[in-house]
Amino acid sequence: MSSRRSSGQSTAGVSRISDEQIIELVSKLRQLLPEIRDRRSDKVSASKVLQETCNYIRSLHREVDDLSERLSQLLATIDADSAEAAIIRSLIM
Amino acid sequence: MRPPSSLKQEFLKKWITGLQRCSSSKRNMSILERTKAIKLSADVAMASARNSTTCWSRALIANASKDGSDGKHLVEQILGLESERLMMKKASTGALVCNKRIRSKKILKRSCRIPRTRKCVPQVALATSIAKRMVRKRTQVLKSLIPGGEFMNEVSLIEETLDYIISLRVQVDVMRGLAGVSELVNHN
Repeated sequence: MSSRRSSGQSTAGVSRISDEQIIELVSKLRQLLPEIRDRRSDKVSASKVLQETCNYIRSLHREVDDLSERLSQLLATIDADSAEAAIIRSLIM
Repeated sequence: MRPPSSLKQEFLKKWITGLQRCSSSKRNMSILERTKAIKLSADVAMASARNSTTCWSRALIANASKDGSDGKHLVEQILGLESERLMMKKASTGALVCNKRIRSKKILKRSCRIPRTRKCVPQVALATSIAKRMVRKRTQVLKSLIPGGEFMNEVSLIEETLDYIISLRVQVDVMRGLAGVSELVNHN
């Protein structure tokens, strides 16, 4: 990816990581975050973006944990009945 | 960036492989063990779908292989023969990334010490220093959330964050789909 290549060059050669690079990356990050994307796009500070990012990642982690627990309970009951397990398997494959 | 649908399929394939190996090896797992196994397979599958192109995926797999025999076994199952090559790759890039981080920190420190030529009003200077402190604090938190984040410089950290969030979303979508299907089947 061109952005990756250019960031590698900047840390090796030039004495300062360019601001434009960071701004570009932060704007990409903003587009991923559900909350900030809907708001006015102009005046969002870097620290706010970082905070929302951390919150979002934490909530995604929590969702993965919840889903793992849910799946574990569901699959435990399915294991006993082979017909249902076969249905699931055929839907997945 | 790879299109999400093929990423979903790849994740699903690898995750199912991991789950099947888990359930075939241990017949009577407790709910807690099974939950951990499901989550571990999902994380390793998500990381391996990146084929060690990103730092976070390598760090995640390395951490999974460290956590006792279960993790290592699972990683080997999902990655197959690739796992050994990936382990060695992680060892060699770890030192490289560390050096990069130390160098970029030095560069940043040096650039901060260079006096700026533009005039700063005192209040503005105070506000910007507070803002900088907030950014630094929040960057530390972000580093703790991304696997292997402590070793990255700021630019890589944001790039890795972007990729990590996309992968996490794929993981959540697929897991939610499977949970929904399982619930439907269970109710019938």
